[in-house]
Amino acid sequence: MKPKNFIWKRLTTSLGPFIGLILVLAIFSLMPEISDRFLRLANIKSVVTQSVMVALCALGMTFIIVTGGIDLSAASNLALSCVLVAFSINLGLPPWLAAMAGLATGGLVGFFNGFLITRLKVVPFIVTLGMMGMARGAAKWVAKNQKIDAPLTWLNELMTRNPRPGWLLVSPGIWLVIILSVLMAILLRKTVFGRQVQAVGSNELTARLCGIRTDRTKVIVYTLSGLFCGLAGIMEFSRLTVGDPTVATGLELDIIAAVVIGGGSLSGGEGSILGTLIGVFIMSFLRNGCTMMGWPNYFQEIIIGAIIIVAVTLDRLRHSQN
Amino acid sequence: MKNSTSAPKILALLVFSFFWLFSCQAKNSGDTSQSGTKKYQLAVIPKGTTHEYWKAVQAGAEKAGKEFGAQIFWKGPQKEDDRAQQITVVEDFINRRVDGIVLAPLDDRALLRPVDEAGQEGIPVVIIDSNLQGENYISFVATDNYQGGVLAARRLAEVLNGQGDIFLIRYLEGSASTTYREEGFLETMIKDYPKINILVKDQYAGTTTETAYQLTENLLSRFPQVDGIFAPNESSTFGACRALQAAGLAGQVKLVGFDSSAKLIQALRANEIQGLVLQDPVNMGYLGVKTLIDYLEQRPVEKRIDTGVKIATPDNMNDPEIKSLLAPDISEYLKQ
Repeated sequence: MKPKNFIWKRLTTSLGPFIGLILVLAIFSLMPEISDRFLRLANIKSVVTQSVMVALCALGMTFIIVTGGIDLSAASNLALSCVLVAFSINLGLPPWLAAMAGLATGGLVGFFNGFLITRLKVVPFIVTLGMMGMARGAAKWVAKNQKIDAPLTWLNELMTRNPRPGWLLVSPGIWLVIILSVLMAILLRKTVFGRQVQAVGSNELTARLCGIRTDRTKVIVYTLSGLFCGLAGIMEFSRLTVGDPTVATGLELDIIAAVVIGGGSLSGGEGSILGTLIGVFIMSFLRNGCTMMGWPNYFQEIIIGAIIIVAVTLDRLRHSQN
Repeated sequence: MKNSTSAPKILALLVFSFFWLFSCQAKNSGDTSQSGTKKYQLAVIPKGTTHEYWKAVQAGAEKAGKEFGAQIFWKGPQKEDDRAQQITVVEDFINRRVDGIVLAPLDDRALLRPVDEAGQEGIPVVIIDSNLQGENYISFVATDNYQGGVLAARRLAEVLNGQGDIFLIRYLEGSASTTYREEGFLETMIKDYPKINILVKDQYAGTTTETAYQLTENLLSRFPQVDGIFAPNESSTFGACRALQAAGLAGQVKLVGFDSSAKLIQALRANEIQGLVLQDPVNMGYLGVKTLIDYLEQRPVEKRIDTGVKIATPDNMNDPEIKSLLAPDISEYLKQ
């Protein structure tokens, strides 16, 4: 593919979602009641901070969806990690070690997903559906059916709206999302591994015939996604200041929706990091705008539902041209 | 490229028409935007928006809003009982710079930081319903939940004549108000009624009627000998009640619950429920907003305001006082 063509295709891929985001921003900033508040830096900062958890999980989910898989256990995995961080801090571990524990559990759950999918030859939907229940149950078990209060540490500074060294401008959590997004975009587009991921999602059989170890690729992708959920769990703990086993119930659907709105195709082979992030922000700004307007929750649920359908329809339209 | 230009248009049209529709709807439904600007803009943030209980709180808040000339924004977390989303709602209202916030915190600890942030931004916060750690709020307006649990224990023991096997169905992990009710119930039972045997005391009903229904069904098949049940909020009471009705045990197994709704009143009248502990949610919403306005107008406010608990039984349910608590007249303030 010629570079010019390539850039053009990339542009059109994220154009739909991008227009959606601009529309959402434009509409709310034109609302007279909140026009002077909505696009303020303080508000944008807090919306982005609120989106960190979904964004992190969605980075991993993009890879999974590009391979043609799905991970329903993402939100439960996040909750398990969140609880384990609090639990470890209460055991007296130093905060960084507690965070590592959360991250490692996330990776482990992801690894099991990948392992079971490739070894048992069971479709990802079923394996991760099972894992969703197991991780959530494990989180409640560790937390003894309660939330876990943990003493405040520097971990809880990761998600403040006003970070301590002022030159950071935004919370460390947001920086993490930015850096990891760039890395993941490069990984997906510019590396051999990224090509393999896309090949597995486009046509697994052909990929295998071309010499790609598809099972290994999948296990790596699920483990990677698990690590992102673990990281999101740490960020959730940072924000809540408690380990909450019931947190993020149903969030997996928001995560999947973000990827899909951003141009990811559930049949695999398609999806971009930039698109996914735009998908995340469309939903977050909608939620934020509706709250600031004081609109009831059912409005935003209906709107987001409609947007998912519209986004996927758009995606199909684009495909039918190609 | 013809198709791809029409595609964003469809998206644009759809999104825009939704917003247009909703902004019209929002203008019609709220009686907020009519007579120019109100004196204060206050956010009232419940734990959820679908329970009858919160509708009554909303009615009280709207009543106070009308009386004192304040515009009320009523907004709960998008998913009922989601701590993270409630934090988001508080932050969003801080960014909107409302004049004050009335908050029913889902968690006594997790909501601490957003409330502190509101304080830093000079936005006063009144806590209602469930308590919050820390001191960064101007008043705590709530039911004495422990006392509610004590009343429930006495009533259940009374209808069981002081002996039998019972379930304590808990509500949700980490929910402070219901935990106090459960503790009040449990401690009174253990201390005052040694002949009552508590079969189950650490099962959680979860947030919906459906989950409470399933839990009760499962417990009933495990312990068919049960004589009485206590459930600490509306959804768990109704779930337990439905399970008893479905099993044909309603009235036979005694049920004492918390809060009221049309269905629960019906069951109370039919003697399928023997007691309902009643809070005064309308008064709680009303006092929450009133306290906030008192503070904004620099009148002195109490740090702790009790809104009272009563118990309704099939016998006293027609007393005027109990009646108004059972079915508060909220239609005047809420246009459904």
